[in-house]
Amino acid sequence: MNPNSRRRSALVCTAFIVLFSVFSFRLIYLQVIKHDEYAELAAEKHGYKQIIYAERGTIFDVNNDVLAHNVPLETVVADATRLNNPQAVVSLLSDELDIPTDALVEKLSSERRYIVIKRGLSESLAGTLREKLRANNLRGIYFQHDASRIYPNGSMLCHVIGFTDFEHHGIQGVEASMDEYLRGQDGYRYVERDRAGQEIVPYRGQERAPRDGYQIHLSIDLALQNIVENEIDAAMKEYSPQKATIILMRPQTGEILAMANRPNFDLNLRSEAKPEEMKNRAIIDMMEPGSTFKIVAAATALNEHKFAPDSTLFCENGLWNYGGADLHDHRAFGYLSVRDILIKSSNIGAAKLALGVGEEKFYEYIRRFGFGERTGIELPGEINGVIRPPRLWSKISITRIPMGHEIGVTPLQMTVAMATIANQGKLIMPRIVKSVTAADGKLVSSLSPVVLRQVISPETAAQIGDALRGVVSDRGTAAAAAVPGFTIAGKTGTAQKVALNGGYEKGKYVVSFVGYLPADHPEFVGLVVLDDTHTSKPELNYGGLVAGPIFSRVAEKAARYLDLEPHEEIRKAIPLEPVQRNIPGERNRAPRRAATVERVALTNASRH
Amino acid sequence: MTRSRRKNCNAINAASFARWIVMTAFLALAGLSYVYLTLQLYHLGERKKAIENELASLRTQNDVTNVQIAALTSRSALQRRLKEGYLKMIPISENNIVRLTFPPRPERENAIRPVINQSGTR
Repeated sequence: MNPNSRRRSALVCTAFIVLFSVFSFRLIYLQVIKHDEYAELAAEKHGYKQIIYAERGTIFDVNNDVLAHNVPLETVVADATRLNNPQAVVSLLSDELDIPTDALVEKLSSERRYIVIKRGLSESLAGTLREKLRANNLRGIYFQHDASRIYPNGSMLCHVIGFTDFEHHGIQGVEASMDEYLRGQDGYRYVERDRAGQEIVPYRGQERAPRDGYQIHLSIDLALQNIVENEIDAAMKEYSPQKATIILMRPQTGEILAMANRPNFDLNLRSEAKPEEMKNRAIIDMMEPGSTFKIVAAATALNEHKFAPDSTLFCENGLWNYGGADLHDHRAFGYLSVRDILIKSSNIGAAKLALGVGEEKFYEYIRRFGFGERTGIELPGEINGVIRPPRLWSKISITRIPMGHEIGVTPLQMTVAMATIANQGKLIMPRIVKSVTAADGKLVSSLSPVVLRQVISPETAAQIGDALRGVVSDRGTAAAAAVPGFTIAGKTGTAQKVALNGGYEKGKYVVSFVGYLPADHPEFVGLVVLDDTHTSKPELNYGGLVAGPIFSRVAEKAARYLDLEPHEEIRKAIPLEPVQRNIPGERNRAPRRAATVERVALTNASRH
Repeated sequence: MTRSRRKNCNAINAASFARWIVMTAFLALAGLSYVYLTLQLYHLGERKKAIENELASLRTQNDVTNVQIAALTSRSALQRRLKEGYLKMIPISENNIVRLTFPPRPERENAIRPVINQSGTR
C-alpha cells in the first residue's frame, strides 16, 4: 500500500472512530447521566401510583346495631391529556351527570391530568356511564371508588356519633375522637397504562394492600337510647325548653348507656344543621347545677366526720343573713338533720355544712368529685367547667357554692358525681367506647372500667344514698320521680338561669333531676336537665315537678327493658298526681298539686 | 483417482450438526415459549383484572345491601313503620320468653311485673 492510500485509510478510520465515539458518548449521556430524568418522564407518562382506599370502620352500639356505615359511591375524574374526543365526552357527561356544558368545557379545557368531574355517583349510574363511554370508544374518563357515610338512625344519638367531612375525616363525636381507628390505612399500587389508558396488569409494580378501619363498639344501648329520645322529645313538646339533656350511665363501669340532647339534627342532612343544633350539651354546656350539688356539701361534711347523718343544724327559719347577704330557703325550716337537709333541700343547711368543713376542704372535695376537670370520655370538645379556687371566693361563696351557685359544671360531670355516690364512693371514668375490633371481628382493644379514686368512704356513700332515697318520697322534693316497684335515690335541682351579661335571668330556670335505680344495688344513674322550661304556672317550674317525672318515665321503661326485678312490697308506689301540662285548653283547670307548693320569692334563685 | 476424489469431499460431522440443530431448536423453542408465555401473562393479567373488578363489584353490592338492611332495620325506620301501621307490636307472654339467665324471683311466684307509672302517664 502506498503512503497516500495508507493516509486515506487512517483518515477514514479516524472519522469512523470520532463518529462512533460521539454516538457512544451520546449513548452514555442518555443511558447513564440522564437515566433518572428520562426514566421519571417515562414513568410519568405511563405509570402512576394508584391509591387503594381503605374503607372507614363501622360504628355499632352495644348490641351490634349499626350506627354509622359506608355506602359505596364513585367519583368521576378526567385526565385531560388523554381525552380522544373532548366534544363527545362533554356531551355525554353533561347529559348523564346533569352538569352544564359550559362548566364541563371549562374544567376539561385545562391540561391537568386529574380533574374531578363529579363526586358521589351511585354505583348504578356509574355503571351506565361506564358502558356508554366504552360503547362510544371515549377515553380519558375514569372512575374512582368512593364512599359516603350513612347513619341509619338519622337524628338519634347524633351528638355522640358525630359525622365526617367529604374527605372522610371525623369532625364531631365518636367519628372525630376515634378517627385514628376508624380511618384505616390506604394502600397503593404502582401501575402502568397503555395508550388507551388501560392498566397493563403484568407491569404492576410494588403493591400494598389497604387496611380497613377498625370497628368501634359503643356502650350505648339503642333500646335505652330510644327510650331517652322519646322522653326528651315529649319533654320538648310539653315544656318547650331551650335545651335539654338526658344521660343514662352504669355506675359500676362508667359505661354511658344513653345520651340525648336537644336541639338536635339529622346526621344524614348535616349540611342543613345549625351550629346550635350540633352541640353535645352533655359535655360542652356549662350550667349552675343548683341543689343537685348539695350532695357534694353533705358528702364532704359526713366524710370528714364533722357531722353525723342525724346531727341537726338550725336552718334559721328560712332566712339567714351571712356575710351581709340574705340566704333563703324555699320554706321556713327550723332544725334539720343532715339527712333532712338533702331531703328538704335546704340552702341554709347546705351552706352550714360547707362552713363546718371550711373552704379549703370543701374545695378539695369538689375537685375530688371530678368537677373542674374533664371526665375523659371519648368525645371531643369536652370542657372543664368552672370551679374557682378558694382564694378567688368572695365572703359568701362558701354559702352559695353548696347550693350549686358560682360554679359551672357539665351535665356529664353531675352524672359522674351521682355515680360516685351510687358506686360506694368510687369515682369512675365515664366511657362511651366499649371495644375496638378489626373488620374480621378480632378484638383490637377492649376498654375496661377505670376507677379514678375513692372520693368518699363506702359508709359515707351509703349515708348519702340513704338520704337521697328520702328525696324521692312523700317527704322529699321529688316524689314525682318515684318508679313503682323500685327504690330510687336522687336529687332535684332548680337553678335560676345565668344571664349572658352577668346576674340571673328573671323567671328562667334550669331544672334537673339526677338519681339512680334501684337504690340498694344501682343498675343505672340518670340525669335529666331542662334549660328554660315553660310550665303552665310558674310555681310548677321545679326540678322535682318537671325533671322528676321525666326521670321516672325513663327509669321505669329502662328498668323494664333491663329486666330488673321490682320489690313486691314497694310495687305500689306513692300515688301522685301528674304535673299539669302546658296545654292551652287545660289552663283554666287548676292543678291539684299546685296548692301544696309554696312559692317563696328567692333572691338567690335557688330552689329545691 | 478414487483417492483424490475422496480427499475433495467434506465429510459431515454428525455430532456437530446435531449439536447445531439442537441449539437452534432450543433457541427457537425458547423464543416461542417466551412469546407464548408473554401472551399468557397478558391474558392472565386481563383475567386477573376482570376477577378483581368482579370481586370489587360483589363487595360493592354487599356493602349496598348491608346499608339497605341497616336502614330498613334501624330503630328509626321500624318506629316509623310502626306508626304508619305496617308493623304491630304485641306483648310477649311470659311462657314464650326463654331466659338464659333467670332473674332472681321473689318468693311469690305470681308476682306482677312492673306496673304503669301513674305519675308519669301522659
